[in-house]
This record gives sequence, structure tokens and C-alpha cells, in this order.
Amino acid sequence: MSQTKVMRKLSGARFAENSKAWLIMLPSLILMLFFVWEPLFESVRMSLYKTRNVELVRYIGFDNYISVMGKDDFIQALLNTFSYTFWSLIIGFLLPVVLAMIIGETRRSKGIFRTIAYLPNMLPGLAVIILWSSFFSAEKSGVLNILLSTIGVSPQTYLTRAEWVIPIIIIIATWKGAGATALIYMASMAGVSPELYEAAAIDGATVLQRVWHILLPSIRKLMGTLLILQIISVFQIMYEPMVLTKGGPDNASLSLMQLMWQYAFGGSMNYGKASAVAVIVTGILLVMTLIHSYFDRKESSWD
Amino acid sequence: MKKVQRTGVIREYDLHSRSVKVLYGFVLFLCLVMTVIALFPLIWVCLAGFKDLKEFVSSTSLLPSDFNFGMFTTTWDQLGIAKNYLNSLFSVAGSVVCAIVFNGLLGYGLGILKPKGYGVVKKLVMLSLLLPTTISIVPLFMNIQKLGLGNSFLPLWLSFGANAMYVVLFIQFFESLPHSIIEAARIDGANQLQTFFSIVLPLSKPICTVIAIFAVNAAWSDFLLPYLVLRGGQLQTVMVRLFVFSTEQTVNADTMMRSVVFSMIPPIILFFIFQKQLTENAVSVGIKG
Amino acid sequence: MNRFVKLVSLLLAAALLLSALPCTLAEEVIDADLNCTITLGNWPADTAPQAEKDLFLGYQATMAKQYPNVTLVPDYYSYTLSSYVPMAKGGTAPSIFQPPFTDPQLLISQHLVGDVTEALQNAGVLDKFSPSYVEMLAGDDGRIYGLPRDGYVLGLHINIDLFREAGLMTEEGLPMYPTTLQELAEYGQIIREKTGKAGLVFPASETYGGWLFTNIAWNFGCVGESALEYQDEDGRWVCNFTSPECIAAMEYMRDLRWKYDILNADATTSDWASSHTSLGTGEAAMNFGADDCVDQPTANKGLPVDSFALVPFPAGPAGRYALAGGTCYMFAPNITADQGTALMAYLKVLGKLPFLDDAIVAGMRADYAAKRDRGAPVLPAISAWNDEDYNAAKQAVIDEFCNVDMRLYNDFFDSISEGTITLKSEEPVFAQQLYRELTSVVQRMITREGADVEKALRKAEESFQEYLDDEINDY
Repeated sequence: MSQTKVMRKLSGARFAENSKAWLIMLPSLILMLFFVWEPLFESVRMSLYKTRNVELVRYIGFDNYISVMGKDDFIQALLNTFSYTFWSLIIGFLLPVVLAMIIGETRRSKGIFRTIAYLPNMLPGLAVIILWSSFFSAEKSGVLNILLSTIGVSPQTYLTRAEWVIPIIIIIATWKGAGATALIYMASMAGVSPELYEAAAIDGATVLQRVWHILLPSIRKLMGTLLILQIISVFQIMYEPMVLTKGGPDNASLSLMQLMWQYAFGGSMNYGKASAVAVIVTGILLVMTLIHSYFDRKESSWD
Repeated sequence: MKKVQRTGVIREYDLHSRSVKVLYGFVLFLCLVMTVIALFPLIWVCLAGFKDLKEFVSSTSLLPSDFNFGMFTTTWDQLGIAKNYLNSLFSVAGSVVCAIVFNGLLGYGLGILKPKGYGVVKKLVMLSLLLPTTISIVPLFMNIQKLGLGNSFLPLWLSFGANAMYVVLFIQFFESLPHSIIEAARIDGANQLQTFFSIVLPLSKPICTVIAIFAVNAAWSDFLLPYLVLRGGQLQTVMVRLFVFSTEQTVNADTMMRSVVFSMIPPIILFFIFQKQLTENAVSVGIKG
Repeated sequence: MNRFVKLVSLLLAAALLLSALPCTLAEEVIDADLNCTITLGNWPADTAPQAEKDLFLGYQATMAKQYPNVTLVPDYYSYTLSSYVPMAKGGTAPSIFQPPFTDPQLLISQHLVGDVTEALQNAGVLDKFSPSYVEMLAGDDGRIYGLPRDGYVLGLHINIDLFREAGLMTEEGLPMYPTTLQELAEYGQIIREKTGKAGLVFPASETYGGWLFTNIAWNFGCVGESALEYQDEDGRWVCNFTSPECIAAMEYMRDLRWKYDILNADATTSDWASSHTSLGTGEAAMNFGADDCVDQPTANKGLPVDSFALVPFPAGPAGRYALAGGTCYMFAPNITADQGTALMAYLKVLGKLPFLDDAIVAGMRADYAAKRDRGAPVLPAISAWNDEDYNAAKQAVIDEFCNVDMRLYNDFFDSISEGTITLKSEEPVFAQQLYRELTSVVQRMITREGADVEKALRKAEESFQEYLDDEINDY
């Protein structure tokens, strides 16, 4: 056998191997195409059309975008979405770190606290929202008002206050998610060898100094990643305000994704405009991801 | 009694210092506060389930006036929740199978087989990781309608077979598998598909367990796409039902609270069975459900 | 509208005599050759009371006897415009479904519903159709696309216990209810002071707030020249929220919260059901509610029938209108002639056509008996048919099961039959979107003390005008 023949046979086998591999992936790829990629592409396409129900009527360029972005409710929803992000960072970003630290410090009961911290994350999000709606009821029978009355505070209103609704929704989301995030931090913190603390302690570092100089640096990169993940997930907030406040009062809790849902399924059935909103959200998320990966790279190059 | 080794920042001999002792006490106190905050709403909703409408709306006591389990059984029967449980079970079972088989196969292709040109697909998968499916729910729903797949579980099952996060988890895990075992199977004459089912999958029990738990939980909790696909029909799952209750106001507030309790029971049971895998394994893969 | 009033008055004044009725035995086979399948979106939901489900199973059995080759497929469908359209396009719409009266014209103009003119003709009821309904259910071509299921007129629900506690009772032991919106505010204040409960529960979420607000706005004079929406000479739809009348109405809403403070605490998250809950559980004394949902506060939320009254919608400074609307039956766009015939037969069995046979009378009796047993008021109904015998016979059955002190309802029904209140249907185009815009303004008024009424209304007006331009004016 000559050299070239072997090569050809090998490449033939390689080709067969390759095509078999693709064949194995084919069903999954079709699903990906149908459920993820094509709809995304379709969103972009539909956003450029005037739609009537499920039909594309005619190409209208960026008219949907212009119309959507020119409306007050879009501006409001955009600002609200940033407000959600802001509050989520204030309330929900550092809390998991603190939880991870305090649970990490406990000894025998660590397993129990870990379990308890994770539990709310297993509950269906919708059930959680409905359950918490009773806590924030403004009636005397609202759970928070009952609790407040035991310390002599008169009943308060919550969900009718424009400036409170977003923090309230974030508190609920944090209640559900913070424990699970804390466990991720714990896993990362566990990577720090106890000897390091031991050595630092011998050098005279106080507990807080050890936290500041050893523990926190060990999770810095993870914090960066979780920060971007949190922002991305807050940007998708939708059913929480939909169920709890219906976007009110006076659109004070309307989110971008909720606006998209309203355009599509809220009675006007304007799928073109709904898609325009979806594409705008996608764009914002992509930009954020790019910024993150840019800083990520920069940081890695420093290390 | 076995001495538990302390792993945290506070070292054993720190506790000799008075201020550190106070600090440690404070840490324990915070853990207790966390426990109360995490559990109180759950306990409350169970208690609230014992109240009737008038009491639920008017009573300023956290405790119900009496513990009548009949309230729960009445709601269960009246709303026919058993049927919704079955629907949910059916929907969850298919979703888990799809989640493991299809994402597993794609992960196998991208993580082990790596045929020519796989890099592009891998990048696409990574990119879709960042974009939630809810964002394109409108065209997806239209596609499902066009194919006449409305009012069936099929699109819901298959949608779990196209989950970028699960694929990435599989890829990560497969890449960590020792290559020699897979090569050995190859030399023994097993084809690629056989290798997957006889060698790779059995080795992947930990990741399959984690993904199965995530998929069970996600399929159980999901209600937006199921609501659009299953609409008001006979196939409604527990969560779709709850969503319909909350938007269409067909049930009273007290019944709603009992429905919430019913919707939480299976995930809580699942949680207690698999809590070790969840709080240890799941976390070690660095994601949350 | 006048015809509608006359029709209702005719019905209500009708003699109690049960005239001789044509009888058909339910067991008789009527047409064995009719062979088709119909899917029934008006089937009761799983959550419906067992009695109602049994009732429909009974209808199904009757159909099986009369039309052995017609297959009925129960397919409970809770209609929403957004879910219906893709179904109609995709050919999966149920053969029969029940949209509210706001939607038929839109559905007809988009060819998303089936024509049943022939079927009605063949069933012999086309000429008995009440003209006020024909208007709502016919297309520009004069063809008929639907049938009325039931109608409602908005009024005021009263929790008598709270009125009694507040000392607002007449000498005859009837509640002293507000006849004007001004009185409503004042009485509400008395109730708040005496009982600590909300005077009025106002569901100001999503579309409900705007829906109720339109009625208040009419009574402040937002009709005719100052209507909330109208078509100008060029046929362009225009909305007007900034008329002095509309501003006055919105100021009234603001005052209810900040001047009189009679509203429920959670108004912006309250919806239709939770406002019935508030009234039914004694957390609020008044609720704007219609005659078709009197079972909500009573049977569903636990208020005894004796503690409940339904009174006319309070008059405003410039008028006394009450919103009238309802639900109709419409049909899938792709129904065949056979299916049309079968559907009419089905509606006849349901007693929705102007025929009474023993089975239907028995059905009505069972229905009213069930209502009475559940603790829901059994009240006169508003008929969609111009058929005196039929209407009189129906009233006789209702009287037999009446479980309420009619003095608590008479003013409501008299105001309709005597024309002291004017019935008005919802704003003509895109009412739901209009309500959404107005709800936003109402929410702003009741959550911010000193909110600028005109500015908020102007914003809503611009937004809704843009919507109208997008949806119809530029199309």
C-alpha cells in the first residue's frame, strides 16, 4: 500500500466518523434549532414587519422599534428594569456572600443551615409570589401588618406605593434565590485551605483581616461572574410583577419583558412590537455580556 | 463525641478571645435569623390553608381558629387537583428523559466526539446560554401553533431537550472523563452510539442525577410556555392551573393558598430526598437551579 | 338602546301566566342522519360546581338521544382574544365559544368566526332575534355570526350588615343607599367612621379600574360631544380624556381616596374577584357590580342573601347611565352547515333559543333550584328574544324560585324598565386598551396625593390616540 492510499483510507474513515458524529447530534441540533435559534431569528425578522395576528403583513423596517420606543410605557419599563437591577444589586448581591460566610463559620450545624438556605430555591416561583402577596397585603389581615401590629405599628400599605413595589419584588426574588447562590460561594470558599487562615492567624491577622485579605479575594472572580448572571436574570423579570402587581401602580413595576408579554398576549396581539421589545432586551443583554467578557479578559491578563 | 474540624476563617484557638466569641455568637444568631426568614413563609402558608375565606380575609391572627384538614381535602377534590398532579407527573417525566437524552447526546458530540466543525456549534450553544427562552416565546409559540402541536405535551417535553445550560454541563463533565476508557470501547468495536449508552452514560451518573433534579424542578415549576401550549384544556399541569387561578380569578383567596401548598409539596419532597446531591454536587458544578 | 330598554321592560312587565307551550319529548330522535362532531368551548371548567357539570352531562345525554350521530366533544375553553386568534387561524378553535360583547365586531371584521344565519333560519328563530343584539352580532353584510348568551347591567352591590352598623337604614329596614355619586362618597365616609371598613371597594388593577371609571365618566357627562372616543367627520377614531367632564370625573376618583378616604387599602392590586371578596366578607360596604354576578359576594364568598342588595348605579352631576354588556356565543370560522345545525340543536337543548319544552323548563328549574341551594340570589333575567310567551314563561319559573326580598332589587330593575337609568354599552373600539390606559390614571390618582389630573389624562390620551392610529386609523 502506498502512502497516499493509507492517507485516503484514513481520511475516508475520518469522514465517516465525522458524519456519524454529526448524525448523533442531529436530533438535538434540530431541537436547538426549533426551540432556541430559529425563534430568536424569527423575533428579529418579525420585529421588522407589521403583523396581524400570526401573519406578517408587510415589511416596515424599524417602525415597530420607533413606535415602541417612543411610548411612555417603554421608557417607564426600561427605567423600571434598571431600577430592578439596581435594587437587586443592593439587596441581593452581597447577601449571598454574607450568608456563605456565616454558614461557612458554623460547625456541626453547617449541613442543616445549608439545607435550609437552599430550600426556598426549590419552590415553584409562581407559588412563591402568590404566597408572598399575602405578606404585603395592605389589609389588617396582611401578614406583615399582623407582625407590625404586635409592636404597635398601624397597618401600612405596600404594593400601592410606587416607590416600594420594585424593592418588594426584589426582596421576594432574593428570598427565593439568595440561599442557592450562597451555596455556590460556599463551594468556592471551601477551596481556600484552612492552613492559609492558620498561617495568617499566627502572623497576627484578626478574623476580619483574614476575611478581607484571604476569603474575599478567593471569590472575587466568582463574584464577577455571578454579578453578570444576576443582572441577566433580573433583566428577564416578568411573571413576578405580572402576578403580584400587574405592573402597577401606574406602571411603576412594569418590566421590559412584561411589556413584551403584554404586546403579544395582553389583548392587542401585536407580535411585531412584542418582538421588537424582545430584540431590544436581547441587545442589552448581549452588550452586557460583551462588557463582562472584556473585563474578564482584562482581569485574566493581569493575573 | 467526634470532634468536628473547623474549616472557616475563625480558627479553634480564636475562640479564646472574648471578642471573637461574641462574633461567633453573632454568626450563629444570624444563621438562626436566616432559618426563621427562610421557613416562616412556608409554615405560614400551611397554617393559612386551614382558614376559610372570611377568616383568611379578616382575621388578624397568624394561627387558624381550628385545624380542620377537611379544608385541604375539599379543595383537593373540588378542584380535581389529582388530575393536575398526574398531568404534571407526565409532563415532568417526558421532560427529564428528553433533557438527559438530547442534551447528553449533544454534549457527547461536542465534548468527546468533536467532529470537524464542532467549534461553531459549541459557540452557538454557549451564546444561547445567555439568552433565556422566554425572550423568544412569541415566535416559539407561533411555530408550535403552526405545526398543530398545541394542547399536547410533546412540545413541552422536547423543549427540555434543547437546553443550553444542560448541554454545557454535560460537555464540562464529559471533558473530564478519562479518554482511555472511551478509546478502549472504540477498539472493542463499539460504535459511537453504543459507546454513549454503554460506557459514557453509566459513568455520568453524578451529572445525570443533577440534571435530572434540575429538570424535574424546572418542568414542575414552568408555567408560561405550558400555559400557552396547554391553554384551558384537559392537560393543564398544577402550575398552569395555579397561573390560571391567579389571572382568571376563578377561585377564592383561601383556596388559592391551599393550591399553593399543593404545588409546593412535590418539590419539597424531592428536595428532602435529594438534598445531599443538591447542596453538595449541584453546587460543585457551580450553578443554581 | 331604546329598543333594548323597551325589550327589558316588556319582559319585566310580562304576566306571570305560563302559557301553553309546545312540547317535544326529549327522548325522541329528531335527526338520525345528522352526522358530525362539534367541540364545545362553553363546557363548564373543572372548577365549576358539580351541579353545573351534571347539568351539562344531562344536556349531552339529551343530545345523544335526539341526534345519535352527532358527537359532542367537551372542550372547556376560557376565551381570551389573544389565545383565540391563533386557534382560529390554525383551525383548532372550538366549534362554539363565549366571547364578551366587546369582541364580536372585531372577530367578524377579521373573518375569524363562522356564519350561522342559515342555521338560525332553519331553526326558525332568526326573526325573533332582538334587534339590539342583531346590531352587535351581525357583520356589515347583514349576516349573523353569534347569539347572545346573557347580558348584564352594572349597578351597585351593597353589604347591608355594614349599612346597618353605620346606621344607614330606612324605617322599612332597607339600606339607605346612595343614589348619586356624591352621596356615595358621603355615605362611604360615614361607613368608614362607624365601622372602620372600606366604604367602597374599587378594583383598580389591569383593565377593571378603567372599565368602572368609564361609567362614572359618563355620569359626569362624557357622552355625545364629550365622549371618551368617537369618530370624526373623516372617519378617524379620536379619543378625548381631557374634556372638563372627564377631568371632573377623575378628580372625583382622586377625592374618593384623598378627601373622603373611603377606598379599600389595596385598590391597585384588587381585581374583579377580590372586590367581590371584600364585599362578601364584610371588608367593604359597596362595590360596583352587575346583576349577573350577584352569586359572587353571596354564594361564592359567603354573604347571606338577606345581607345583600343590588341597587342602580349612582347618578352623576350630568347623567345617569349604567353600563350594559354581556357574553355571546360565537362559532369557529370553519364550521360546516351540518355543524351549524347541530350547534343550534345543542343551544336549543341548553335552553338558549326561545323554545320551552318540558326538558328545558325542568333544566331551568334545576338551575334555579341549584342557585337557591347554593345561596345565590335568583333574579329576573334580561332576555335576548322578542317572544312574549317565551319571556313570560321564563319569568314564571324564576318567580317560583325567588329567594330574595325583591325590595332589595326592585329599584335596580325598575330603573331599567322605567328608563330612569340609561343603558349604554361599552366604548365602541378597543375598549380593553382604553380601560388599561384609564386604569393607569386611576392608579396614579389614588396612589399620589395631589397628582395632576389633567396632565395624567393628557398623557393617557396621547398614548391611546397613538394606539388607535396604529390599530385602525392608519390601517
